[in-house]
Amino acid sequence: MELNSIGLIAAMSTFVGVWFGHVAVRKMESISPTLWLPITAFAITGIALEWISLTTSHFSLSIVTGILGFTFLWDALEFTRQQNRIKNGHAPANPNNPRHARLLHEYPPATTLDLLKRDPLGKPVSHREAIKLITEH
Amino acid sequence: MNFFALTLGIATLLMIGLGFVWVIRGERYFGYLWWPYVMSFGILMILVSLFISSIWVSALMGVFGASLVWGSTELKEQAVRAEMGWYPFNARKILPPFASLIEKWKAPHL
Repeated sequence: MELNSIGLIAAMSTFVGVWFGHVAVRKMESISPTLWLPITAFAITGIALEWISLTTSHFSLSIVTGILGFTFLWDALEFTRQQNRIKNGHAPANPNNPRHARLLHEYPPATTLDLLKRDPLGKPVSHREAIKLITEH
Repeated sequence: MNFFALTLGIATLLMIGLGFVWVIRGERYFGYLWWPYVMSFGILMILVSLFISSIWVSALMGVFGASLVWGSTELKEQAVRAEMGWYPFNARKILPPFASLIEKWKAPHL
């Protein structure tokens, strides 16, 4: 019986695309002084990948670029969502980034702490407790 | 022009979007300790896709399997978010078999 590798190729493209996007959006949003630059770069990359996907005659390459292209386009939208997480204190702000320094000043919930960096306790945790859990670790 | 991959890309986007929903709801009602089961089911789907001759079914199984594997690594953080009140917290979760054993393992997060 011949194995069909399309599912595996699609799975790996999806996983790598989501993983890369997850890490890259956090990192680039954290260090970039403007949002429009990474948003534009990701949107152009996404469109370019979709164009390759449409025009290539290589079937596997078409699948990889077709999936990666859409994850890049999704990531382009994620930059503003990530900035909103910073404003709400749901992701750590980078005080060395002038844009984040401004957010830290303008939005009281914004923090430099990563409040998600702990194991679950199985019970509701107050904001003060959450800070204690990550700082006294 | 080959529109198969473009359509598959759109389907992938929808499945990733669906991932946001099931990770939030799944953690709320079942808890993050289901992660090894979710991850295993995702890997199984990818392996089964190798034996499916239809390109559409195989590709969609692969994408869905990968989104399950990814989602399984997100459950722990989602549990922390719910504990802090960023999402509704439910204390009465339906725990998985061997929950006390899984609790001792380090839940993956990428």
